[in-house]
Amino acid sequence: MRLSLEWLDQHAPTGMTADEAATTLTMAGLEVEETEESDLGPVLNIKVTPNRGDCLSVVGLAREMAAAARKPFIDAVAADTPIGGEAADLIQVTIEAPDLCPRYAARVVRNVTIGTSPEWMQRRLSAAGMRPINSVVDVTNYVMLELGQPLHAFDLPLVRGSAIRVRRSAPGEAITTLDGAERPLAEGLLIIADAERPVAVAGVMGGADTEVGPRTTTILLESAHFDRKAVRRSSKALGLQTEASYRFERIVDPDGVVRALNRACDLIAELGAGALVEGVVDVYPGAAPARTVTLRLARVSQMLGFDLSVDEVRTSLQALGFEVTECEGEALAVQTPSWRPDVVREIDLIEEVGRVVGYERMPEKLPSGATTQGGDSDLGRQTTLAREVLVGAGLTEVVGHSLVAATPLDEDGGERVAIRTALSSELSGLRRSLLPGLADVLARSVRRGQPQVALFEVARVFHEAPGGHTETLSIGALLHGAPSTDAWRSADRPAPADYYTVAGLAQALCAAFKTEPPVLRRTADARFHPGRSAEVVVGGEVLGVAGELHPTVAADLGLRERAVALELSLAGLVAAGRRTMGFIEPSAFPGVIRDLAPRIAADTPYQAVRQAALDAAPATLEALALTDVYSGPNLPAGSRSLTLSFTFRAQDRTLTDDEVEAAMAAIRASLERECGATFVV
Amino acid sequence: MDDLARLVAEAEAEVAAAGSTAGLARVEAAYLGGKGALQAQLKTIGSLPKEDRPGFGARLNAAKATVLAAIEARRSDLAAAEARRRLAAESIDVTLPGAPPLLGRIHPLTRTIQQVKSVLIGLGFRIVDGPELEDYAFNFAALNYPEDHPAFDEQMTFYVDDTRLLRTQTTALQGRTLRGAQLPLRCATVGRCFRYEAVDATHHHTFHQVDVFMVDEGVSMADLKGALKQFAGAMFGGDVQVRFRPDYFPFVEPGVDYSIYWQGRWLELGGAGLIHPNILESHGIDSERYSGFAFGLGIERIHMIQNGVSDLRWYLANDLRFLRQF
Repeated sequence: MRLSLEWLDQHAPTGMTADEAATTLTMAGLEVEETEESDLGPVLNIKVTPNRGDCLSVVGLAREMAAAARKPFIDAVAADTPIGGEAADLIQVTIEAPDLCPRYAARVVRNVTIGTSPEWMQRRLSAAGMRPINSVVDVTNYVMLELGQPLHAFDLPLVRGSAIRVRRSAPGEAITTLDGAERPLAEGLLIIADAERPVAVAGVMGGADTEVGPRTTTILLESAHFDRKAVRRSSKALGLQTEASYRFERIVDPDGVVRALNRACDLIAELGAGALVEGVVDVYPGAAPARTVTLRLARVSQMLGFDLSVDEVRTSLQALGFEVTECEGEALAVQTPSWRPDVVREIDLIEEVGRVVGYERMPEKLPSGATTQGGDSDLGRQTTLAREVLVGAGLTEVVGHSLVAATPLDEDGGERVAIRTALSSELSGLRRSLLPGLADVLARSVRRGQPQVALFEVARVFHEAPGGHTETLSIGALLHGAPSTDAWRSADRPAPADYYTVAGLAQALCAAFKTEPPVLRRTADARFHPGRSAEVVVGGEVLGVAGELHPTVAADLGLRERAVALELSLAGLVAAGRRTMGFIEPSAFPGVIRDLAPRIAADTPYQAVRQAALDAAPATLEALALTDVYSGPNLPAGSRSLTLSFTFRAQDRTLTDDEVEAAMAAIRASLERECGATFVV
Repeated sequence: MDDLARLVAEAEAEVAAAGSTAGLARVEAAYLGGKGALQAQLKTIGSLPKEDRPGFGARLNAAKATVLAAIEARRSDLAAAEARRRLAAESIDVTLPGAPPLLGRIHPLTRTIQQVKSVLIGLGFRIVDGPELEDYAFNFAALNYPEDHPAFDEQMTFYVDDTRLLRTQTTALQGRTLRGAQLPLRCATVGRCFRYEAVDATHHHTFHQVDVFMVDEGVSMADLKGALKQFAGAMFGGDVQVRFRPDYFPFVEPGVDYSIYWQGRWLELGGAGLIHPNILESHGIDSERYSGFAFGLGIERIHMIQNGVSDLRWYLANDLRFLRQF
């Protein structure tokens, strides 16, 4: 809300400068976002939190200002007029929806001359950001700013039957609002109707049919209390937010309805803009009793953390308009003012006391209760372990977007979680895979002239599933080219990443999470090169995929070299991992190493060769390593030679040559039998 | 001078003249070897009168010892010199750049999250995790948001459907944690949040938050202030001051916005307050006996303050030139 300092000063004479006033209001919870100059002097732009509808007015802000500055508050005054009177003979007000309109008041003004409002009023309106229109409209706006109560003036002769019916809209009804827009009304919106048709959307905007104009002679002035949800519904349904709807949504003082009306009439009379008809029509079916809340002094001190005297508590609350009706022992009975519907419990009063007294008086303490055991979450520890492996392998972590467009790289075979009413394709759904985000970073890095990257991310991916979605942690890695390095010796330059780089990462991750070694199995994942990719399978479960990106995917990303990627389910790794602790004591006895170089058909996968060797090996086989793969002109076409290195070792003795030779003979026989291996030596 | 004395003098001269350990080995063989000159003197012993033999033997042994000592001394000098020469020949340009190790690195947000977690764990807080795709109920209703209230307008929300949304605040986890919780309780959660915001230097539709809360007997606003001072001090260093300004969040009462005075200026960090008794009661917690505080702040904001980064967009841009600096 924008408010000139001189207007604020009229109701809270503090004599403060604009800066002092801004600080005082800000520290009271009414943040002054900026101060501007105007021909009325400084204007404060105040951010009012949604719980404080009462502060969308000059008197509301002045009350806060005066309480914070410990200065007197000067309320606005309005002349009284009797209930009923002549006005009651001229108009008929019926509330047909009392649940949505607890109160509706109206007055009538005759002999209206629509002119311009005086300069002082126009200036204050302009400073508050409102455009002066004519004397009557300006008065309604001025009173809304002053007291927070939105008002509306109808051209009474145009109100058919001189009837005001506050009701829900019927099917098929429509209204042309003051802004000239013709608006169909959804059924059940709260409207003001005359005898025949809608004349205003309650609390939002009036209708053009009954608009006050230059030829207006008699007006009906409305001041009402509309339900916040009803106004919010209309405002949303029509896509129309006004100064009035903004206030009604945040609750206007129901007890201030008639005062605002009378205040507006006073101003109309003062301006000579019309002759007041005596009497006010006040239909008030929803009067709520005043609320009284008990406040214990000890509780105030306990919650705020420092001691306050009963006098301090009482005067703080009184300054804000609360009535302390009883003071018994250590407890106060506090009646909340009608403009503070947000105060319902003791803790709300404690906050009010704290605000007025000032939080700067609050000491800094530390919780003195029982100590608690801190620690990271399981997910946190698992994520950290995955990161350690990937950082150790030289990869750089990125943080990608959870919200992504539906791209081919995100097509992991699962169903996407889509955002309802997405504003753009980039924000249209949740990622199923970490690869699109990594690819996006790679593509931008290539465009910046840094094509060599090794990236990873550990984050959540989402899948829609029958009976609910899944949200699981995933590990993604993407490498392109050789790791960038400043090395000047060729020996220090690493080789470009290829399929085996990401397969190795998968194996390292499995080892870190203590799973069985993964089995790599060809995959039909369309995102990958069909001949250079594999599913990563552990214990029969597919945990992810590793491989070279499909050439068409790479081309779309603008890549010149082969890019390789890995995506593994972190949750899957955890589930497959061994959680028991323990170790195997390293043997004190020497190991025996034997090499074997079978020639095998090139299309026999290594996995089969390895399995054939392991199947025949005794328990003393400690390790089997592949140390060379050779294919060349001096081998028969379609075959290759693998060098396998076997390490044997026993826990309890030195192995004999005979034992080792027997084991090697069995392995050799198995390779011949299972894989058609031949041996040169 | 007899033969023996002459031989010793000759040997000493040759030892001194030897220019290498190999040359010295030749001198050693020439005098002390099996066919060496001093060894040859032993053969002359038979031609001596019987009474002179023991005396000659002793002199011969002394002469051999003298020569051997000279050789050893010379050998050690020569070996040292040779080692020096060899090392000098092996000298390289030590100012050439080192072979760069292949280092990976974590994202600055991860580093900041790790720092936040470690400070909180040290203060006895248990880290808990909640879903990013959250129930409407936990994100709003369980946090005391009034039904159909303008407070929602301040948090433009990504909805999947009527019941599921992307959490707008990590505070959403509070309800999940308080449900059936053992008291006292100190918990914290860190993670991604999402709001429909136009992306600029200080706003993003995706950002990270830490939310911290505790429930115990007699927890007060002053405890909150003290805990914030401790937390901020650990994060930013030095003796920071904490300032509260009243603010509104449906899930806390009193609600404040807190700032710290750090390096000569006040920095707004986030929102805080005492957990609303409505929330405690909705989880069956006796709000007369127990109270709690909650505070939250942005992870990006912490890193921006620590490093003087002025644009939030760097964190999700993943420009390696940016990431490399942290």
